[in-house]
Amino acid sequence: MWSALSEWLARLPLWVAQICVLTLFVAAGAWALMLPREFIYLDAPDRARWRDLRIWAVLFLVPYVTLYVVLGR
Amino acid sequence: MQQVTSTLAAIDYVIVVAYMVGMLAVGLYFAKYVHSTGDLLLAGRSLPFWAIGISIVASDIGAIDLISGSGGAYQYGIAQANFDWVGSMPALLIAAFVFVPYYWRAGVFTIPEFLGRRYNAGVQTIQALIWLSFMATNVAIMLWTSAVFLHEILGWPHELAIAITATIVGAYTVTGGLGAIVMTDVLQVVVMYVGAGALLVLSVWEAGGWHGMTDKILALGDKTQNFFTLLLPHDAPTPYPWTGIVFGLGLILSTAYFVGNQAVLQRALGARTEWDAKAGMVLAGLLKLMVPVLVFTPGLAAKAIYPDLERADQAVPTLVRELMPPGLTGLMFAAFFAAIMSSIDSYLNSCTTVFISDIYHPAYRRIAGRPLPDWHGLWLGRLLTAALIVTACFVAPLIAEFETIYVALQTLLSLFQGPTLAILLLGILWRRATRWGGLAGLVLGVMMTGVWTTLGDDLFPSERPFLFVSISSFLFTAGVTIVVSIFTRPEPPEKLRGLVYGDVVHDAGAQAILRERLDTP
Repeated sequence: MWSALSEWLARLPLWVAQICVLTLFVAAGAWALMLPREFIYLDAPDRARWRDLRIWAVLFLVPYVTLYVVLGR
Repeated sequence: MQQVTSTLAAIDYVIVVAYMVGMLAVGLYFAKYVHSTGDLLLAGRSLPFWAIGISIVASDIGAIDLISGSGGAYQYGIAQANFDWVGSMPALLIAAFVFVPYYWRAGVFTIPEFLGRRYNAGVQTIQALIWLSFMATNVAIMLWTSAVFLHEILGWPHELAIAITATIVGAYTVTGGLGAIVMTDVLQVVVMYVGAGALLVLSVWEAGGWHGMTDKILALGDKTQNFFTLLLPHDAPTPYPWTGIVFGLGLILSTAYFVGNQAVLQRALGARTEWDAKAGMVLAGLLKLMVPVLVFTPGLAAKAIYPDLERADQAVPTLVRELMPPGLTGLMFAAFFAAIMSSIDSYLNSCTTVFISDIYHPAYRRIAGRPLPDWHGLWLGRLLTAALIVTACFVAPLIAEFETIYVALQTLLSLFQGPTLAILLLGILWRRATRWGGLAGLVLGVMMTGVWTTLGDDLFPSERPFLFVSISSFLFTAGVTIVVSIFTRPEPPEKLRGLVYGDVVHDAGAQAILRERLDTP
């Protein structure tokens, strides 16, 4: 079974791999953005805008996405 | 490797010695803040997010990574960077927003302790013993591999290299605990980034700039045509096929590493607030972005400049020997020491923490019928750390004669990655997961992973089947845990309070219980 699956995977074009990786990054960012504001700020010393970790998570993902768009395949 | 002793100028020695004395002084300074077990093992829960993020990256980069990571880039190209790119940011976000809040709110010292509360003492003990054996042996291994490196490069006797490294790291880890480790890590990352950055600039310059370097490498023939492609075909003759990278590394191994590795998570558990714990993990994601650029690019430059090296791991030593001027060579060596020390101190501290929290404390409570007194934990922690580093010094030279021990332990740890992630994930996300489900999942999952690892070459046609084994072991363990849990008695709601998803954010009662736990020394 594994051999057949392996042969099928080997035939897939590399843009499929690129889409899979980009989906991983984009999904991580989208999920982070959907987290409740209360959860993100819980225990924070103040509610300053810069403490919104959802924004930082998405910002930090941008270079990763760019790298895999440019150098992915 | 040829020695570069002759090329080391007086200024290089001054830089290396100044670095070591500086680290010792900074580490010892933090000893004055250590008054309790919590201070020693978790820095009194006072760490700010920036120190946590930097320290996670410092612990993650070892001296061997600087050598073998560049060697991997020399041999396979930029696909080597997947381990820091696909293998970091998504996993760090999952750790930051799913796992770390639960660990932190549960007020635990270790991951096995969390598993013990969620499942039972059996799961806690198995996890603790595995991590203890892995981390303790790893301290000896890191000491030995560092000694080999310093012997080959500088000509230092092995014993001298081990003694110097162990004395400095041991002194500040024993006295200053996690606080000293994290603050020295911050300085060590600066030294590592500056040293590796200098090598990066010089080597790429020597290779003719980025375009000159890529042209030279691509002109080397068929073997280097994929050198500047991150994702390689499933059947490519490399250890990094895209399927293994995405599904094995990206989804399973990296997540298991960042949510289950005590040496990494101990910083987050020592955060001053839950927000700092989460922010530290997110910041580590940004810092990890730079690691391949600094570590692997010199490997690529070496491929362009010296395409016929006998061994790939000679890439960085050759560049240091041939390109670095006096002063910068010393800085590079300081960077190597930084990488060595920042990893050893983390494993030392984590080893002590796991032993006290998961083995000694439960046994003490059972025998004495009361919790461990704070002064007892503090001095036991110091004594254990000192004993561990001294023992590691004597065990380190034996590593060379028993290389299979190292290989066996690495394999043993890899057996636990998928199963550990499965029971952690189900434990937090599925309140129906029971103690027997967790125990059965862990034990059977590890056994089945052992079988798959043994038969890996036949089952999974890949140069390194561990990426595929990890997927299978995760799914198998999750399946066993679910099935056994369904057929066993559900855990009582009061036991699950604060430990499962949805119970902490919305339940005021759970919050009160957690606050009480955290406020109790």
